[in-house]
Formats: sequence, C-alpha cells, structure tokens
Amino acid sequence: MTQQDQQNRCFLELRNIHKRFGGVHALRGVDMSLEAGEVYHLLGENGCGKSTVIKIMAGAHPPSEGQIILDGEVHKELTPIQSLDFGIETVYQDLSLIPNLTVMENVALGEQLVEGHGRLLRTLDRARLKDTATKALSQVGLTVTAELLSTIVSELPLAIRQLVAIARAIACEARLVIMDEPTTSLTRREVENLIEVVSRLRSQNVAVLFVTHKLEECYRIGGHAIVFRDGLCVAQGPINNYTRADLAELMTGRQISEKRYRTAGPSTETLMALDGLEVPGRFNDVSFKLHKGEVLGITGLSDSGRNELALAIAGISPASSGSISVNGKPVRIHSAPESIKAGIGYVPEDRLSEGLFLTKSIYQNEIALILTKLANKFGILDMKKGKEIARNISEKMRLNTGDIELPVSALSGGNQQRVLIGRWLSIDPEILVLHGPTVGVDVGSKDAIYQTIQKMAEEGMGLVIVSDDLPELLQNCDRILVMNAGEVVADLNGASANEDEIYQAMLGSVQEGAA
Amino acid sequence: MSSAGTSHSDKAIQAQRSGGLGELIAKRPEFVTLFLLVAICLGVTIANPAFLQASTLIDIGRASVVTGLFALGVFVVLAAGGIDVSFTAIAALTMYSITLLVQNFAPDLSIIAVFAIAVAGGVFLGVVNGYLVYSLRVPSLIVTIGTQYLFRGGLLAFIGTTWIMELPGEMGTFGRISLLEVEAVNGALISLPLYFLILPAVAVLTWWIMRRTLMGRAIFSLGGNPEVTARLGYNVKIVHLFVFGYAGALAGLAGIVHITANRLANPFDLVGTEIAVIAAVVLGGARITGGTGSVIGTMLGVLLVVVVDNVLVMVGIPSTWQRVFVGAFILLAAAFFVTRQRKFKPAK
Repeated sequence: MTQQDQQNRCFLELRNIHKRFGGVHALRGVDMSLEAGEVYHLLGENGCGKSTVIKIMAGAHPPSEGQIILDGEVHKELTPIQSLDFGIETVYQDLSLIPNLTVMENVALGEQLVEGHGRLLRTLDRARLKDTATKALSQVGLTVTAELLSTIVSELPLAIRQLVAIARAIACEARLVIMDEPTTSLTRREVENLIEVVSRLRSQNVAVLFVTHKLEECYRIGGHAIVFRDGLCVAQGPINNYTRADLAELMTGRQISEKRYRTAGPSTETLMALDGLEVPGRFNDVSFKLHKGEVLGITGLSDSGRNELALAIAGISPASSGSISVNGKPVRIHSAPESIKAGIGYVPEDRLSEGLFLTKSIYQNEIALILTKLANKFGILDMKKGKEIARNISEKMRLNTGDIELPVSALSGGNQQRVLIGRWLSIDPEILVLHGPTVGVDVGSKDAIYQTIQKMAEEGMGLVIVSDDLPELLQNCDRILVMNAGEVVADLNGASANEDEIYQAMLGSVQEGAA
Repeated sequence: MSSAGTSHSDKAIQAQRSGGLGELIAKRPEFVTLFLLVAICLGVTIANPAFLQASTLIDIGRASVVTGLFALGVFVVLAAGGIDVSFTAIAALTMYSITLLVQNFAPDLSIIAVFAIAVAGGVFLGVVNGYLVYSLRVPSLIVTIGTQYLFRGGLLAFIGTTWIMELPGEMGTFGRISLLEVEAVNGALISLPLYFLILPAVAVLTWWIMRRTLMGRAIFSLGGNPEVTARLGYNVKIVHLFVFGYAGALAGLAGIVHITANRLANPFDLVGTEIAVIAAVVLGGARITGGTGSVIGTMLGVLLVVVVDNVLVMVGIPSTWQRVFVGAFILLAAAFFVTRQRKFKPAK
C-alpha cells in the first residue's frame, strides 16, 4: 500500500520549463509538481504564463527547454494524444468544443480516440459513446435526454456549452483535470454543482488544476495555490495560508487594496430615464433613472434578464415597448447607431467576438468610432490626427505598451479591455454601458479599469455596469439594481450593501425551487 | 444529480428547438433538395408524360455515375473544411495513362486490376494534394488549382493528346455489360450497365466511413474547427491525407468508368466539369465552409443536376437554359439554407 501511495504522490512534475514565442520569454524556468487527489488553483495576472503552462501539460505547445516528468518518466515534450493517454484532460477557456458535432460526440469521442492511441481507422462503438456521454453529462448536473445528446453544440447557450466542456473532461478516466476559467458563464447554482463535481473527482484520487480570477471560489474549494508572475512560479502552498491581499500582492508584485473606488457621489440631475422597458420573455417593466456622474450597477443570475436589458439600452436587440429618455428628451433606440447618436456607448461582454478587430492595430481599434470625423470631404482619413487621438487614449487608459501599431491580438485580456473602453473616450458619450468590464481580466488591469470608470464618472458621465462580479459592483457603484426573473427586485445603496444581501435578492424565490 | 439546478438550462434548450418545419430544414437541408427534385419531376411529367417511364430512370442513373463519384469525393473534402478542384484532372490523368499502359503492355489485364491501378494512382495524386495543403498551410482551393494545372498540363505535355478510339481488352467490353434491359416506349432497348452499381456501393462506403468510423468524425471535426481538432488529439495530418486521398481514389474510379462508358479515352475530357460537381454537392446541403453535409444530400444534389441536364430537353426547354436553371437553384437553395441557419443561431 505504501508503495502505491508513493506512486500516487507527485505523478506530474515540471522541471525548469522555459517557453519562448519569438522574442517573448513567456515561461522562464517553471518548477511545479502535482499530487494525485489534490486541488490546485493556478493564479496570476493575464500574460503571466498560466495558459502557456497549461498548454505545455496538455501537449498543445512543446516547451523550449526543460523536462516534463510523468510517473517518473522524463519527457522533453508531449503530444496532445500522449497527454490525453496519460490522463490529462483540459477544459480550455474557449471550451474547445467542435461546433458542428453533437453533444454526445463532443463529450465521448475522446475516450475512443485515446483508447486507440489516436488511430482513426476504426469503427465507433456507438453504444459506448452514448453510455459515456450520459454518465458524464449527468455528473455535471445536466438532465440527459436523447434530444440533448443529439443537439449540435453550436445551438446551445454558452452556459450549457461550458458544462458540456467540463463533462468531456471527466468522461475519460482522468488523472488530472485542468480547468481554465470554468465558471465564467455559469450561474451560482451551476458553480455549486461544479464544486461538487470537483470534490467527487478528488475522492477518486484525481487531481484538479483550476485557473481562475475568482478568488472567492478558490477559498471555497480549498486546496493549494500556485501563483505565477512574469513567467515564474512565485509561490506554492495551501491557499488558506494566504489572505486575498497576500495573493493579490504575489500576483502583481505590488500592494492592491480591496478598497472602495467610488468616493464622489452623483449629482441629482437625471441623465437617462427608462420607463417600462420590456422585451417579452426576457425582462418586463424595467424603469429606473441614471443621474449625471453616477455609477449604477445591474446584476442578477445569467437568466435574470440583465444581459438582455444591457443589449436593449445599446440598441443591439431593442426593447419592444417602453421608453428611454436622455436629458429629459425621449430617444428612439432601435439600432446600435441610434443608441450612439443618443449619447450611449456600449462595451460588450464578449470583447473578442463583439468588440475588437483582433488583427488590427491598437490605434485602428481606438478610432473605429470616429472614422467619419477623421475623413475629409473626399473620404480620405487623416491618419496623423487619428494616431494622435489614439496615443492620447492609450495614455489615459494606461496601456502597458507605447506601440499603438501593435495588433490587439498581441495584448493580454486586460489591455484588450482597456483598448475597448478607450475607444469610447474618442467620442465622449454621456452614458456608457459596460457589460462585464473585467471578465477574464487580471488584478492589475482591473485596478486600471476601475480608476478609469471613476474618472469618467467624476467628469459627469453616467455609467451602467452590468456584471455578476459582486465585489466589483460594491467597490464601484453608487447604486446596485438586482434583477430576478426579468424584473428589478432590489435597488441597493452601493456603499452600504453587502454580498449576502445581493445574493438573496438575486436568488429570491428561485432558491426555494432549487433546494 | 440535482435537476432543479439546471431547469433553466433545459428551458433554454427547448426554447431553441421549437421550429417545426423550419428546424427540420435547418437540420436536414437535403429536404429542400428533395423537394426541388420532386417538383421538377412533377412539372416535367405534367408537361410530357413520356418522362415517366423506366427508360428515363435508367438514363438518369447511367448519367449520374461519374458526377456522383466525383461528388462523393468533393463532399468528403468539403466536410473537412477544404475544397478540391483538381479531381477532374486526376481522373483524366489516371484514365488516359492507364489506357495507354494497358494498350501497350498488358492488353489482357482484367478490369478489376484496371480499377485497382486507377484507384491507387488517384490515391497517390490525392495524397500529394493533401500533403501540400497540410504542410504548406495554403488554402486547399489554391493548392488544388495549382495541382489541377499541373496534372492536366503533365498529361497533355508528356503523355499524349490523341484520342484512343479502341479501348484494349476488358476495358472495351466492361461498359457494355448490362445489369438489366428495358424496352422504351419507342421500341429502343435501353440498358442499365453493370458499372452503375459502383455508385451505390461507393455511396454506402462513404456513408459508413463518415458516420460509423472515428475517421468520419475526425473529418467533420476538422471542418468544424481545425485548431481545436488538433488540440483534442486528432492527427490532423492523417485526416488531410485521407480526405484528399479518398477524393483522388474516387476520381481515379470515375475516370475509368467514364472511358469504359464512352468507349473512348479523350485526354481533354472531364476537366471543366468541377464547378457542376461542386454545385451538386452544395445543392445537397453541404456548406462550402465545411463541417456539414451528408451522403444522401450529395446524392440528391447529383440527381438534381443530372435531371436538369438531361430532362429539361424533354419538355422543350433548350439545353442552353439548363445552366440558368442550375444557377437559379443554387441561389435559391443557398438563400434558403442561409436564412434558416440564421434563424436558428442561439440567442446569446
């Protein structure tokens, strides 16, 4: 038995792993060891090398230098199939589902692929495909029906896709399950369920490695913290030995307090008023006022209607009834351009697919809204002026690069978000709606974004933050509206509210149903 | 596990699945093809009842073999997210070279061996395509335009440009073996040749590969998202070599069928028909962007194109109009598929 124990301990070890991408030294000698049945939280700012180290373990990238030791066997690099064969399963941040295959195939094909060591010329065992998928899907809490199994993945809402991706990872006999920000689009209930899945994996002696920015979840789950900074592993130990402030400091290398950013108060002048706004089946009869210089938070579960409300204000999926007025004048918002004309800016939740032109440069992204203003009467753009404006914005947003010609895809998530918010500075809207402004953004960038938000509010802009990050709302907002089942159920003071209060309003009657 | 915890997820799924006919078409676009096919056949029958007889069916069956074989190859490549326009050149090169070989060195070679050599030649040329697409990371359209010129240019420059009117040995007789014979209304004897059987056999094989093997799933997966497919452990190189090799094999097969049916080896034949074949596959519901399509849809698309090509003449529509029809159908079907798919995109 003791020999078995020894074998189970430390089944995966990384020794002096380096990774260079062109001139970028992403990993600079990482040492890490993982033990069976243990939970790890890989923490660090965006761009610190977390994703790279995961990809090296999953066999997606070969390391430039160093050793990967699996059960005492030394490897220079791994192929995806080797890694899967060893039992390393990964839930990638982008989920890595095949959009045109069914849920069943996405979850369970891997098992048969790995079994044949990647050999493709073999028939499918369809009965087994169904069994494996059914088992894994019900483990993550989905109700398995024949319909769900045969649904094409691209037809599913994001939250269910995330659960399907997790189901795929646990469908095989895994020894290590890596989850890269697995809870970003999950509701609280689904997160609870995931935590249950993790403890079950743990009891089966499976190691779990989380990559996340949500510290409160890490503390709830417990286990070990592994902190990365600038391509190095700077700390490793039981997470309860560190306070939130300790971790933030380890990640950023500087002290960041969990202070309330909001200091000034709003004026009493009404900037925007919503009256009886409604999208049938999504939200109904939403009325509220936004004052000049106010930061208003809106939260709720992902199906509470908060997302649809944000889209309606932005004109992307307009409300079917009700009215919006800006500065006392009613405005008609049936499309995004109409919303911009009314003085309302919108920073979408999914910056990669809805907001940024990834292959274009920083300055091209930042001047995207003012192209008509930059054009002379022949339609030729004044690029010199454009670059000047872009340079200005980059400075204001404290981008960590001075090179505005760099493509946005080369930036970290936090910097990308800053480019996206900065774009609105070019037209200076009266109202800015921020949808999940810090999703997948590191601590340092969060700080910069919050400071910008406050600065904009001080200058008289009205801001609406739609988010499920409660500390974020409590730190930044004057008022927090909580939505539940399509209605605004609470209007709380940001300075005096606490997380519990908000949760209770969010869950409301739903909680009884789920118990 | 807790079912209440996910009730909203189930609702979300249901909300997207209440489309009735629309949903059916979005999931099985080949129904649109079937509908068009039936509509044309009905229209032609009303205009000219002579259409509805066994000999017409046999004509259509005979005419669809070569296009059908090509189309199955194109379908497999399209499903993997690629495109192949070199298959006609592969067919022309293999059929003509093999005819010369057999004529000069082995006039008694059995037809089975001829087919085997043609398939092997087609696989080789197809694998060249696959290897170039994979290793150069160049879009397959560009690669196969290049190889189409190369294969065809090579054929005409180095192998020959003269027609071979007398096919050697079994190659000459195979096309005349008939499966069944039917007397047409006008008294002429119409026969369904034995080679017709190749098409359904290959269709079933293709269906089996695509639906029942891991390779088939890997092909669709590659067409859905190549990067993720590699990340999940599929050997993307092998999949590339397989799909282009398979398309090459079917092209080799189709080439031999073509010459034995025509009893003539013309090195200038076939090249130029690629677009019609790709059109048939797209009419069958496969998206040009990859990851979709079915064997049954492909076969229906081929039938549609062949029927338009062969039957419109029967109702007095001049042959020059056939292209107008095929073009209109493609636009119609494409517009239909696209609007349907847009409707069924998930709400975020």
